[in-house]
Parts: sequence; C-alpha cells; structure tokens
Amino acid sequence: MKALQRFWRWVLAVLIAGWLPVVLVAWWWNASADSQDPFFPPLETIWEQFKVNWLFANVGIHLVPSMQNLFLGFAIAVSVGISLGVLIGASESASRYVEPIIDFFRAIPGVALVPVFILLLGLDSTMRTASIAFAATMPILIATIEGVRSTNAVLLDTAQVFSLTRPQVLFRVRLPNAMPIVFAGLQVAFQIAFIVTVASEYLGSGFGLGAFTLISSDSFMIVDAWTGVLLLGLLGYALSLLFDLVERLSLRWYYGQKKLA
Amino acid sequence: MATVRRVLPPGVVSTVIALLVWQLIGSFGPLAGDSFATATEAIAALVEFAGQSMFWTAVWETLQMAVIGFVVSVVVAVPVGILIGLSRFSYRSTKFTFDFLKVIPPIVVIPIAILVIGPNLTMGIALVIFANVFAIAIQTAYGVRDADPVLLETMRCYRMSLAQQIRYARLPSAAVQISIALRIAVAASIVVAVVSGLVGGAGGLGSLLALTQSSGNADQTYAIILLLGILGIAVSRLIVRAQRRIVFWSGR
Repeated sequence: MKALQRFWRWVLAVLIAGWLPVVLVAWWWNASADSQDPFFPPLETIWEQFKVNWLFANVGIHLVPSMQNLFLGFAIAVSVGISLGVLIGASESASRYVEPIIDFFRAIPGVALVPVFILLLGLDSTMRTASIAFAATMPILIATIEGVRSTNAVLLDTAQVFSLTRPQVLFRVRLPNAMPIVFAGLQVAFQIAFIVTVASEYLGSGFGLGAFTLISSDSFMIVDAWTGVLLLGLLGYALSLLFDLVERLSLRWYYGQKKLA
Repeated sequence: MATVRRVLPPGVVSTVIALLVWQLIGSFGPLAGDSFATATEAIAALVEFAGQSMFWTAVWETLQMAVIGFVVSVVVAVPVGILIGLSRFSYRSTKFTFDFLKVIPPIVVIPIAILVIGPNLTMGIALVIFANVFAIAIQTAYGVRDADPVLLETMRCYRMSLAQQIRYARLPSAAVQISIALRIAVAASIVVAVVSGLVGGAGGLGSLLALTQSSGNADQTYAIILLLGILGIAVSRLIVRAQRRIVFWSGR
C-alpha cells in the first residue's frame, strides 16, 4: 500500500518536472519544421544528422579523446589538489602565506590560461591535459585547505586526549571531516575541467568534440555544428548527474549523520 | 622576526617570494626562453599596455559585455524567479528545465552564437546572459519558497494580505539567496566576457589575449593574465564588501 502510494507520488513528480521540457522540444520541432533559415535548420534534420554523427560513427575519433583528456586532467588535479591541500592546511601559518597566491590563480579564468599553455607546450594533447589539470587544481586546493583547517576543535581535543599521533589526526580526523567541503570543491573543479576541455579544443586545432563543433561552424556545416552543440550540452548535463551520484555514494555517512543531527 | 611579522603581513611576504620565484624560473630554469615571460617582462609589458589606447578599448569592451550582460540577467531573472517561486507547482515545473540549462556552460553554445549573432560585443552580452539568467532565476525562486513557514503561518493568522506576505516574508528570504546568486554571477560575467573574446572573437581582453598568443608574444600574454588575476581579486573583494552592507540581515 505504502509502496504504491510512493510510486504514484513519484509519477506525479516526474510529470510535473517533465511537461515543460517536452513542450519546449515539441515546440522547437514544429516551429523549425519548414525552416528555411540556414542558421536554424529543422530539428528533425539535426536529429537525423545527430544519429549519423554520434550513434556511434564519430564517437571514437572525436568524443573519446575529449573524455580521455578530461578525466586524465581531472585525476591529476584531484591528486595534486588534495595532497597539497592537506599539507598546507595542516599548518596554520603555511596556509596564511600561501592563500594570497592561490587566490590570485583562482581569480584567473581557467580558459584564459589555455593560451599560456599553448605557448609553453604547443597544440598537442599534453597542452590540453595540462590546462585542464592546472585550472581544476585551484578549487580543489582551496576547498581542501579550508576543509582541513575547519576541523571541529572538540574533535581535535578528543584526538589529543586519546593521544593520537599527528598522521593519525590528519588521516582519521581532519581528512574525513574535510570531505564534504572537498567534494564541493571537486564539483566546481569538474565543471571547470569540462569547460577547459572544450576551450582547449576550440583553441588548439585538430581532434576532439570541441574542435569538430567549431570547425563545422567555421566552415558553415551548420547542421553538424548543431549536433556538436547538442551533444556537448547533453554531455555537460550527464557529467554533472554522474558527479552528483558519485558524491552521494561517497558521502553517505555524512548525509546519514546530518539526518540524525 | 616578530617585528618583521608585524610590519609585513603574510600576503605581502608571499607575493614578493612568488614574484622572485617566477623571475628565477623564467631566467634560469628549463622554461627560460621566448615562450615564457619573467615577472619583470610581464610587468613591463603591462606598463607599456597602459600607455596604449587599444588596450584601454579592450578593457572597456570586456567590462561593457560583463556589465550589460549582468544587468540584463538580473532585470530578467529576479522577477521571473519571484513569480516562479510564489507557487509550488510553477517552482517544481520549471526546476528541472532551468537546472538543465544552468549546467550547460556558455562556452558550449559559442559555435552557434558565432553563426547566429556573429563575433561581436552583442554575442558576448548574449553569452553572459545565457550564463547567468537560469542560475539567478532558480536561486531567487528557491529563496522565495524557502521563507520561514512559521512566519508565513503567523502572517496568515493575522490576515495579512498576500502582498504583505510577499513584502515582509518572501522577499527578505529571497534577497539572501539572490545576493548569493549575484555574487557568483558577477564573477561569472567577467569570465564569460573574457572567454567570448578569447574563443568567439567577441572583442575585448579575450580577443587581445588570443592575438598576443597567436603572434607568439609571451610578455604581453602574461601581462594580460596578470591583469585578469588582479582584476578578479579586486572584484571579489568588492563584492564581499558590498554584500555585507546590503544584505546585513543574512547573518554573515
């Protein structure tokens, strides 16, 4: 009985959330159906071309390299950001000295650093990975420092009473305690990593989904450009959903704790 | 040492050290060469820029895109957000759509924007609006819905009109959320204005950056990066200060 009730409530929620996107897409489909405007081709044409391009003919040459750069760059950012952040955050004076420098780097748009990396490393995928990693490190670093520093004083006192060693305090008290804040940083970093991935492909020539889309646009292959934009948009949304899922799974203990409190 | 610390705040010390390290890396390390600018070279290039009207035009164009885009976003998104937030149905109907559009980074639509609008200031403004409008609307609506339920019940008990409920319960609650959204939006506006220039050729500092990089002038490239960093810090300091004054009841 209760399960049934919950099911209907869920159906209702989906209906309420879903009618607007359905109406919008239907409107786009119909309004563009006999479009002669070269810049706004019919949605049906875009969809046909989308199937030709991305189910799954060009996935291997354009999408896979983009995702490789994205995840490799992000992985580097996570390991560098968290380990440096823990080191800096563990010392009160170190963080006071380092923070202005980090603030400066965070203030620079990640995309604006791509030209610097192009000058240093050229146009290949090392440049892309390096740009992604550098831009994504900053928010993780800041969040980790903040998280490690903001450990509850009572917890630290308790740790001292039980005479935990410094590494024990760091890894078993400070770091778990920092995780919710670190995850907020990771989320920002992941968005930045995605943006820089696309930007590095726009600016550097050649492979990748971004490059495909911009080249299509520049050479007036308008339907192709639309399919690229559509795929990039869907990808951006899907990746953010994936990130939410990972966060929910890894911070289960934290949400449980919050519910109790 | 203690007196040194009192005279020199840590920020100044670390900035000086960072500049020295930068200078040394650029002069002696494996990075030394034409593709890397030292601190002195970058600062010299920035000073040289300051004497050129073309540079100030670029700064002005970037600020124009950011400010106009930001203002339009706020003027459109705040009223829409308030309207959406007033009813549970409209809030829940629009949330998914707005969240979806909010997550899509504006850089993704640049190839289409170049075709439809063309690489100019209007495109930059449109991208700034696209970047901000959904996030501000959804946050405003959330603030309106987030008003204290006990307060609303009390107002209903005293037969206060809907207008009064909006004025004294919904809007103050929304204002806190709006101020958070705007703080993010200001920073995002500048970033998007720069990026539309850099990637989309919309003009301003972004386009200047693309030009200096493609002509291989590392000194000027680093000078612009330096400026962007300083600008970013200055803007975020200003916002924090303004927020403390305007939304003083937010408890921060």
